[in-house]
Amino acid sequence: MDNLIFIVAAYVIVWGALLAYLLSLRTRRA
Amino acid sequence: METTLPRGTQMLRIRPWLGIAAAASFVVASVMALFWAPTDAVQGDVYRILYVHVPLAWLAYLAFVIVFLASVGWLWTKRPVFDAIAVASAEIGVLFTGLFLVAGSIWAKPTWGVWWTWEPRLVTTAIMFVMYVGYLLLRGLSTDFSRRATRAAVFGIIAVIDVPIVHLSVLWANSLHQLPTVLRAAGSPALDSSMLLTLMVSLGAYTLIYAYFMTARVSLEVGRQERLWTT
Repeated sequence: MDNLIFIVAAYVIVWGALLAYLLSLRTRRA
Repeated sequence: METTLPRGTQMLRIRPWLGIAAAASFVVASVMALFWAPTDAVQGDVYRILYVHVPLAWLAYLAFVIVFLASVGWLWTKRPVFDAIAVASAEIGVLFTGLFLVAGSIWAKPTWGVWWTWEPRLVTTAIMFVMYVGYLLLRGLSTDFSRRATRAAVFGIIAVIDVPIVHLSVLWANSLHQLPTVLRAAGSPALDSSMLLTLMVSLGAYTLIYAYFMTARVSLEVGRQERLWTT
């Protein structure tokens, strides 16, 4: 894959932020 | 004040299944986007960022349209659940907008040579992001529930004007950003069928994620409102 670093960066940031938001919802509910 | 809050039992019943469906479709969409979809003849593999960038953008549009509808609902009926829907959708819309801006910026560097440029699509999107951050900040200015919900609803109705402006900005002005390839006035999508299928599966996955986040966030807000009425 060319430009792999850009693809990985975009996906990691998006996935990480979605996971962080999911965890924040669970924390706020507790 | 009248407390016409739903008990949320149906929402609680649906949520686990929605979560499972969202997680499963997310895995399928990610595998398709990263490994199954063909490499683009012009951009190479970096175009795969499209499969997160575009669904997040469309869902952000949807989120802000939901804010608009819920704001109208609050002003019309004064039912607190509409305010809960509006704030939940605005928060998720801001998250998705921030993420598609970042993903777009990362995509821009290898294709345009810059992380950011002051062209119409990017500027109108940045304005949309700032407006809805402002919407969330505005809600913190008043502790009176009804006043806060009404102010936010008026803002939510006005701010939605930027959504069609963002989408159509690439047609109205000379833009570096790619023209619409799927939602085109000219006809069918200008996209390879397997790329289009991957995009649609990704769109479905992110729609389920949005729906799951909405059920969780609305239920959180309704719980806050119930505590407000009981204190």
